[in-house]
Amino acid sequence: MNGLWAYIGRRLGITLLILLAVSFTVYVIFSLLPYDPASLTCGKSCNDPGIIEANRVRLGYDKPFWEQYWIFLVGLVAGRTFGEGQAEIFCAAPSFGYSFLQHACVTDLIADAIPVTIFLAVGALILWLIVGVGLGMIAARYRGKIWDTLSTAFVLVGTSLPTFLTGLVLIVFLVIKVDWSPFPAGGYTAPDEDFGGWLLSMVLPWITLAFAYSAIYTRFVRSQVLEISTEDYIRTAKAKGLEERKVLFKHTMRAALAPIVTMAGLDFAGLLGGAILTEAVFNLPGMGRLSLNAVVDIDLPVIVATTILAAAIVVVINMILDIVYAFLDPRVRV
Amino acid sequence: MSLLSVKDLRVEFKTPDGVVKAVAGVSFDLNAGETLALVGESGSGKSVTNLAYMGLLPKAKTTITGSAILQTEAGPVELIGIDAERLRSIRGKEIAMIFQDPMSALHPYYTIGDQLIEAHQVHNQVDKKVSRDRAVELLTMVGVANPEERLAAYPHQFSGGMRQRVMIAMALMNDPKVLIADEPTTALDVTVQAQILKLIRDLQEKFSMAVILITHDLGVVAGAADRVNVMYGGRLVESAGVNELFEKPMMPYTDGLLDSVPRMDKGHGKRLRAIPGQPPSLITLGDGCAFAARCTRKDELPTGRCDVSPELKEVKPGHLVRCHLYDSKGVTK
Amino acid sequence: MLKGKKSLKLALASVTAAALAGVALTGCAPANAGGTLTYLTNSEAWTHADPQRNYTGMHIAWFGSYMHRTLTAYERAEGAAGSAVVPDLATDTGRASNDNKTWEFTLRDGSTFEDGTPITCEDVKYGVSRTFATDVITDGPTYAIGMLDIPSAEDGSSTYKGPYNTDATNDVAAFDKAVTCSEDHKTITFNLKRSVGDFNYTVTYLSFSPVPKAKDDGDQYDMHPVSSGPYKIKSYKTNDSMVLVRNDKWKADSDPLRKDRAFPDKIVVKFGVAEEVRDQTILADKDKTAVSLDALLPTNLSAVFDDNGEVLEKYKGRAINVYDPYVRYAAVNVSKLNCLPIRQAIYYAKNFQALITLAGGQAFNGDPADGVIKPLMGLDYAETGYATKDADWKPEGNVEKAKALMAQAATECPELHARATDPKRGIVYDIADSETNKKGSAIWIESLAAAGITIKFNFIEPGKYYAVVLDPTKQGDLSAGGWAPDWANASTVIPELFTQEGGFPMSQNWGDPAYAEFKKRSDANLSEPDREKQGKEWAALNKYAMDQMWVIPGTFSKTQEIWGSKIGGAFFWEPQGALSFGDLYLKK
Repeated sequence: MNGLWAYIGRRLGITLLILLAVSFTVYVIFSLLPYDPASLTCGKSCNDPGIIEANRVRLGYDKPFWEQYWIFLVGLVAGRTFGEGQAEIFCAAPSFGYSFLQHACVTDLIADAIPVTIFLAVGALILWLIVGVGLGMIAARYRGKIWDTLSTAFVLVGTSLPTFLTGLVLIVFLVIKVDWSPFPAGGYTAPDEDFGGWLLSMVLPWITLAFAYSAIYTRFVRSQVLEISTEDYIRTAKAKGLEERKVLFKHTMRAALAPIVTMAGLDFAGLLGGAILTEAVFNLPGMGRLSLNAVVDIDLPVIVATTILAAAIVVVINMILDIVYAFLDPRVRV
Repeated sequence: MSLLSVKDLRVEFKTPDGVVKAVAGVSFDLNAGETLALVGESGSGKSVTNLAYMGLLPKAKTTITGSAILQTEAGPVELIGIDAERLRSIRGKEIAMIFQDPMSALHPYYTIGDQLIEAHQVHNQVDKKVSRDRAVELLTMVGVANPEERLAAYPHQFSGGMRQRVMIAMALMNDPKVLIADEPTTALDVTVQAQILKLIRDLQEKFSMAVILITHDLGVVAGAADRVNVMYGGRLVESAGVNELFEKPMMPYTDGLLDSVPRMDKGHGKRLRAIPGQPPSLITLGDGCAFAARCTRKDELPTGRCDVSPELKEVKPGHLVRCHLYDSKGVTK
Repeated sequence: MLKGKKSLKLALASVTAAALAGVALTGCAPANAGGTLTYLTNSEAWTHADPQRNYTGMHIAWFGSYMHRTLTAYERAEGAAGSAVVPDLATDTGRASNDNKTWEFTLRDGSTFEDGTPITCEDVKYGVSRTFATDVITDGPTYAIGMLDIPSAEDGSSTYKGPYNTDATNDVAAFDKAVTCSEDHKTITFNLKRSVGDFNYTVTYLSFSPVPKAKDDGDQYDMHPVSSGPYKIKSYKTNDSMVLVRNDKWKADSDPLRKDRAFPDKIVVKFGVAEEVRDQTILADKDKTAVSLDALLPTNLSAVFDDNGEVLEKYKGRAINVYDPYVRYAAVNVSKLNCLPIRQAIYYAKNFQALITLAGGQAFNGDPADGVIKPLMGLDYAETGYATKDADWKPEGNVEKAKALMAQAATECPELHARATDPKRGIVYDIADSETNKKGSAIWIESLAAAGITIKFNFIEPGKYYAVVLDPTKQGDLSAGGWAPDWANASTVIPELFTQEGGFPMSQNWGDPAYAEFKKRSDANLSEPDREKQGKEWAALNKYAMDQMWVIPGTFSKTQEIWGSKIGGAFFWEPQGALSFGDLYLKK
């Protein structure tokens, strides 16, 4: 077990280095983009170069790139102050900057958005794992039979329907056209305010998001199960006289677990960066909406922060996956 | 009465290219305590024959006909067409199997303890502790050192030979009457091969079970089997006692197989040679002799003779052969 | 890609507006009070809620109706009557003196902020001072900077930098001189650097709203502005909602403009509603008390309107198809296209029909424009004789006429003619990079090529578009543009677009021989006291600019809006180019 802890420690160290590299890269990319961050801070009144210049100084964009990046890093650790006099704003550590378009510290924006996305992603993940793994197993077990055909049809529909359309169809036909519908036509209710309202506001987004993923997982699990079924150790299990159910649920699924967990982990990581379409159609104020709006409005501090965060999530989840993998696959251990 | 009696077993697979007649009417008897070797090239149907009556072939697109009767304490049981649940209760209990590659035949994610105990638990309503003791007992028997500790190990932590010992231990957990050993030594080092064969032989006596030894290598058969069935193109082509077969092989194919084995008794200097030609396609197999295309002695036969498939005939007591060369009588050699 | 702000529509020509529930609500029955009014929008939040940062008509109409009071305001009435200026926080519409360089307003008694503190002159003055903090209070109109008598620094910016700047060099004294308060804190005086005859229109802008200094925290004030009107913010969250409730400190008697309005008990704005969900919710009348704050999706137009743009029977009384405040056009860089026949050739060759069809059709996108003043600006509009009144103009383009003009150009200005007809060089058109614009460019290229003119498109990143075209060194020969007047006077159109001092000077026409006379007449007309006479002159100058083809006219554009069946009091409030938010009530 000592080996495992050392491994985890090493992975953590590497992860930190990667995150630093990611933040630097993101910073470089956005400093190379042909946007003048200063002139982006003042819409129509920016015809006046004096105003642009004043904003450049206030936001620190007049400083050399290295210094800006250093200030950004220091802000992450120590917080950062913007403006002066009565208009002074302090963003506490870890400060990702201040969004003048949303009038808030970027860290606060993210802190507000990320629970929404986590709730959305976790619920959808559970749903699609149940549906996808279940259907995949059924399809593999009854290969070539009617269940398999039905699941293939589901896979086809699920993978070809755009999420936006699925969500819209659900809203229009389950909410707008139905007078007694318990579901809201989008919008978010915090669970600590009104748990029932939260649940109702999340059901359709969960279904929408899980729909496409369920289809992908059905296909994936089906092919995994079929592939593993041809393995020698499955024949061994059958030769032992094991019940078919046990062969499928224990021996086959145990072998399919690692690839499914890996795929689910990566998909989950991707979703934590924001389920843009689902969040947009259901009006959920999560990371997807935050990033999308930031890109549309060219809200640079938010773009930088969400990009770094999305990358960080992927890197961290990857690290977790590697560690989980060590538990799942005895051959990787030691 | 023989322990296992297989009669006219036929196995057909439907494939996109056509129907594959993998086994085309195989019959043999296995007596208690006997070791029967099934020998042939890959694709000759030797593995499929056994998987068929064990119910381990994929059900879809497979047709199995014929008969395989196993003597059990409750009387004879017809394995072909039997209820799946009933066959399952026989698998691993009455008839156990070990396979070629012990690495891939053991589940990589479960400890060998788990896998051994599971094999016992399937057929015995006993406490796990009992199964565990049985596992330790068998590991000791097959020669795994520190069996108590090794129960917690995973397959990848064993060497190839040790893995096969574990496989054997697992197969013997329920005291089977028949052990089907499908190429048990093929994936192993030559030095380890002999140990494993000896182990099987020793245990066969201890457990007084019958063994079906499936192999493509006649060399393995020599010291291990009582009787040898040679298969070609989904059929038995020669069957004889092991000494008889090695001394007086009749079928040119058996000859060929023997020539491809290094032998101590036939002296040095003789070059090993492979049987020329390819195994026949099991889809296009017609009415003629399946071996004709590769037969080195077909010139000895009248023209057109090979267009007719020969029958399996007992040309000598206990020695059966499917070959036109022995159509009239006795030995022409 | 529009510039400019709000409009007014006088002498409304919009037929559809007549179909509105045009209930005259003055002195309306209190029976209509109560209930919750819901607004749906796709935006994630208000662009701004801070009064000094609001600029667009819709935002001014909304916040002006509910929260932010100004010294003067537009009358709440349908049609031309809505463009009249009436007193709001002030007791009258202002008193000018010193050749319209000094304006005085006296505050009403009894008006307070939402915490009950009386609104004083100092609060209005503080509000105005915030406009000068251009690095914090962004996006708002800068009339105060342009008009108040405060010196300019060398770089052209004001020496007064607003209330947040703590530098010793910040010229606070100059601001204190330009805006003064009487001893009783009731009267505010603005000292202007030049005559502004309609300064009382200028102060209808929310940038002249009072702000309590103690509650101001700069940029963040945008999230919690203090109300001086009948409603106050209960909650406001980006990507979620804004909830307004009644301001119990508001005294109806101090606010004659809103006294008999302020109907709902609660007003909710739902942000981030997906566009299709927003439209479907209202079209299916799922939420009968909901109003869309955004224009109807083009794909839903045919569900609500017929091919002529008339509201279908099913939606009578809860949809409008009206002219928005904008005129869209191709601005001409006269310094580069210094050849009148070529400019005219472009105007005649352009396939208006195809472009308007691409944009959704005339019924919804708008009519061919004959200048830069919309007919709705009654006093200032007169037909110029161009577009539909021009015998030579054809909707699909008049190739013959264009060719004749090009032939004329070949002798008059051979150099530019050579470039315009050279397939390798041609005329450069700046336009924002978008799918529709890319399709539109093909129509331009084809129709102009028929007349032998080569046109090349310079697609510009939308976010950077105006930064590029407003830079004379980067501007092309033609640039797509749009403009709406700031208030009911073409003084916010003609000089803005066509004089060097204007706020949107893409014409670059100061070198044109016809400029001197134009400039003289425009300047004179700015201080013309007779509004009728002034209007006639603006109309004449509109035609003057067209005769010089200083702009290639495009469309008088339109917009479509819908609301739920339980909403009453809706009409198009012309001066703001928005719905009459303050007059909406819930039908019993």
